[in-house]
Amino acid sequence: MDFLSFITDNLQTFFTYTGFSNVTTGHLIMIAIGIFFIYLAIAKEFEPMLLIPIGFGILIGNIPFKDAGLQLGIYEQGSVLNILYQGVTSGWYPPLIFLGIGAMTDFSALISNPKLMLIGAAAQFGIFGAYVLALMWGFEPNQAGAIGIIGGADGPTAIFLSSKLAPDLMGAVAISAYSYMALVPVIQPPVMRLLTNRKERLIRMKAPRVVSHTEKIIFPIIGLLLTCFLVPSGLPLLGMLFFGNLLKESGVTRRLAETARGPLIDTITILLGLTVGASTQATQFLTLNSIKIFGLGALSFIIATSAGVLFVKFFNLFLKNDNKINPLIGNAGVSAVPDSARISQVVGQEYDPSNYLLMHAMGPNVAGVIGSAVAAGILLGFLG
Amino acid sequence: MKGKIITGLALLLFTVTGIQAQRTTSLKINEILVINNNNFVDEYGQRNPWIEIYNASPGTVNIAGCYLTNDLRQPKKYMVSKGDVNTLISPRQHALFWVDNLPSRGTFHVNFMLDSTKPNLIALFDSDGRTLIDSVTVPAGQRADVSYGLIEDGWTFKNLQEAQRTLPSYKNVTELWMYFDDYNNDGRYVTPSSNNKILDTNEKIENFKTNDKLGVGMTATAMGVVFIGLIALYFSFKLIGKTAIRMSHERAKSTGLTHEEAKDVAEQSGEIYAAIAMAIYEATELHDEEHTILTIKEKAKQYSPWSSKIYTLRQTPKLIR
Repeated sequence: MDFLSFITDNLQTFFTYTGFSNVTTGHLIMIAIGIFFIYLAIAKEFEPMLLIPIGFGILIGNIPFKDAGLQLGIYEQGSVLNILYQGVTSGWYPPLIFLGIGAMTDFSALISNPKLMLIGAAAQFGIFGAYVLALMWGFEPNQAGAIGIIGGADGPTAIFLSSKLAPDLMGAVAISAYSYMALVPVIQPPVMRLLTNRKERLIRMKAPRVVSHTEKIIFPIIGLLLTCFLVPSGLPLLGMLFFGNLLKESGVTRRLAETARGPLIDTITILLGLTVGASTQATQFLTLNSIKIFGLGALSFIIATSAGVLFVKFFNLFLKNDNKINPLIGNAGVSAVPDSARISQVVGQEYDPSNYLLMHAMGPNVAGVIGSAVAAGILLGFLG
Repeated sequence: MKGKIITGLALLLFTVTGIQAQRTTSLKINEILVINNNNFVDEYGQRNPWIEIYNASPGTVNIAGCYLTNDLRQPKKYMVSKGDVNTLISPRQHALFWVDNLPSRGTFHVNFMLDSTKPNLIALFDSDGRTLIDSVTVPAGQRADVSYGLIEDGWTFKNLQEAQRTLPSYKNVTELWMYFDDYNNDGRYVTPSSNNKILDTNEKIENFKTNDKLGVGMTATAMGVVFIGLIALYFSFKLIGKTAIRMSHERAKSTGLTHEEAKDVAEQSGEIYAAIAMAIYEATELHDEEHTILTIKEKAKQYSPWSSKIYTLRQTPKLIR
């Protein structure tokens, strides 16, 4: 009898440690969100490289357990997940991702037609539009800055900045940024169609000239010096972006460039996605602020896309006929490489199947990466 | 060769200078209490004057081997002993030295005293005993339990000037050093081993909350900077692009083309080159009919010690008699 009660007691104690005993509605909601992300990644192929690790990370982060000092959770100091999460909290994953992005990005389209850089600048209105709205919705300036960066449509930049300005909002900001980046094919086309007429959508742009090897080598050096002298706080991101690009373009560091754009970026993407997902524990994540952040994130993408398209239309007023820019590439200024450039191509071909906008859209697209990193540096400088 | 040596030496000099900047030169004399009646006590329960040193760098600095003195003619008066782990000062943190003339009590007890009736010079020298890192003269007539310190940790006049320009609370501040008094109730307290200014808000954020409630100022400034940055890049690459086209033009002209032909070549798009390359490929490489000749070539075996079996196998043991 005593032995039986001993077994029963032990089983009861064991049950208190299980997920079934500790589960809350919040956990179930988050698990459903995680499964939805995985569904979007596999069935719809929306940014699968990001949504699979994040979605699965959400599942990992929302397995309920009893806090018994077992060092399991991502917020428990010394736990394996916590150690992996340090790359996010200390902000060293995003610069390594930027190193890989630099090593895989061809800036030729931008170098051959440098005026496209201005579209990348204009689209950053998304960041500051969301900043203004976040202030109006009652957020503190530093929180508003962290939320606004969602409009940069650049996951690593969003994580980097929010980890510095408002660490408590980082999970929501990161999930929101990556979600809307995945939803670029849904958000951008209606805005692009709404703001352009048929004649504008049919504009054919001049083919970009061939860019010499020397120009490609000079670009990361001048790019780094100009942007970082102006905004030194953007150094971690811009420094790594341009360094990665120099590894690619120098032609003598092929192995380093291949590592940066291959195994390194893949490893960091896995760790970043998984830990950002796991950081969305229901208790920390399911708050009114998170809902507000999601709303602001959507608005920031719409503002950024509109600003890019409208800027091109405005810019065209000053350009000669043979130099006009198709406003359908304005959306690509929001970064989200290369998805938003792909959207320019897809929407452009709906109206003229022989008009190839992809190469032109890559110009503002990579300028958007630079622009959002510069904007992040400014926000960090002002509010950090 | 000579050029390489000079370049190497220059790089070494740069590196050494850079390292130095992250080291002891970042230390600052931060706060001093000359008369300690009711203030901080040392590990022996005694109240003595103290000097606070601040590490203004973002990296850990080891103060061991540096010298503290109250006499510039004797820069090596008190050497901070080596081998004590506590001499490592974390980034933007402090170390406190007791000025009790009792060095036998440990690393942080110096071998001189301060005299409240006259000005006290305090200097910190680097480990060579010659390089002055920082010095300050505490005015005579110090009051009990009132410390004399930098307005903010590790600040220089440059920091103060910048704050006067950007932070409203510093508009009328002109002195870098000030008195810290526990009784004034002005938020400036005696703070041994702690920040001279106790921050309970982020002034930058408060400034934005007060002066830019709608965020219009931030938007205008930040967008201005983003545009300036990318416009600067635009002009740079416009110029570089023009130079590249001109050079390409010159090269094309040197092959005997006319001015117009050379111009066309220089500004040709990648698509045209791709089309030409494809046409050449089709004309020379692609073929619709097979030759129907089968050629068998002997496979060449390149020797490499990396793939040689003999080097990857253990040698047969030999019996030695």
